[in-house]
Amino acid sequence: MDDRRRRFEAQALPHLDAAYSLARWLSRSPADADDIVQDAMLRAFRAFDGFRGTDAKAWLLAIVRNCWLSAGTAARRRGHTSLEDENLVADGADPEEAAIQEGARRRLDAMISRLPAEFREILILREMEDMSYREIAQITGVPIGTVMSRLARSRTMLREIAMEGP
Amino acid sequence: MNCTEPLQTQAYLDGELNGTQAQAAEAHLQTCEECQALAAQIADLSDALRKATRYRAPQALRSRILARLDREPVRSSARSFWFGAASGTMVSAIAAAAIILAIVPPAATTLAQSVAQAHARALTDGQTIAVASSNHHTVKPWLAAHAGLSPPVADFASQGFVLAGGRVDEVAGRPAAVMVYHHGNHELDLFAWPDRGSHLPSSGMSYGFRIRVWKSGDVDFAAVSDVDAQAFQKFVELVQAERE
Repeated sequence: MDDRRRRFEAQALPHLDAAYSLARWLSRSPADADDIVQDAMLRAFRAFDGFRGTDAKAWLLAIVRNCWLSAGTAARRRGHTSLEDENLVADGADPEEAAIQEGARRRLDAMISRLPAEFREILILREMEDMSYREIAQITGVPIGTVMSRLARSRTMLREIAMEGP
Repeated sequence: MNCTEPLQTQAYLDGELNGTQAQAAEAHLQTCEECQALAAQIADLSDALRKATRYRAPQALRSRILARLDREPVRSSARSFWFGAASGTMVSAIAAAAIILAIVPPAATTLAQSVAQAHARALTDGQTIAVASSNHHTVKPWLAAHAGLSPPVADFASQGFVLAGGRVDEVAGRPAAVMVYHHGNHELDLFAWPDRGSHLPSSGMSYGFRIRVWKSGDVDFAAVSDVDAQAFQKFVELVQAERE
């Protein structure tokens, strides 16, 4: 294994789950997320020599987002916008309790999916990936002020969606 | 809504403030009912979102990626990649743009980098043109209204550079008018902004794009593209001749 591969596996690969989660939330499709992440990891690997920074996670997530944008045109052409569900294994001991939690989780996921993409991505990066405003600005390519206003707006919108019901 | 501080309060709750800023936000939060309500809402939402799905990369995907990396040549492919970006089709330029965006830090240090970054961002987002027209009588007033600058807009279709439209972009934090030209499969962006007395780099390559920056009267211009050197030179000469 050469040096680049070793560094890539040490610095970028630990963020594969975060990359996949972002791709899933952006594309709302397991099949598209697979393609986006595979494409992103390959691009990241090829560009890794040029990566000089210290924040490999933000760097990788920016590439994931760009791959999603590039893939977006193709997906829209296929008319693919639905939220695909997958089978999840509930780990609770009580099957009834697990079913209730699973239902709540699905409703929440569906509500988040209804946010416009430019708001959804910022909310996901902040609340799930725990990224700073600066990192979010770097990933999404918008000024920090825009990150702040979109974050506030996305929180308000999600609350409104929750009050509307399904 | 009377409170003017909700974004500052949000930043405080998100852990973005420190020192005196955090103290000021905390003091404000003690007295502002709107911000107290906001704090409760943000906390509730964060709790709820903790229950939402955090997806994990499937093992099959992980294995597929590792197998794909195994097939990558050991020697760095960066060189041929950039060569492709500088000389190939629009598609490779877009692929390069996606990578550039990830590499370039948010605060580009030079005007040339800022121009290259804006060009890359527009290519990646597929939003190079906000007003699509080959008619300079359409593009010019649109730019005048949206960029606050009335740049000289000319069509060089007979010389192989077709005016495709324009957009407003940002160079080093200030708005710039951009005229978009097509040359075969390639795109050329001509940026223009009011001169601010900046020291202008003359020409070179930045992140795989050719760049030329010059001043004409009280307006600064920057041409950026992935076309070959000869076509790029011709384009710059046409624009400069038009201005004189």
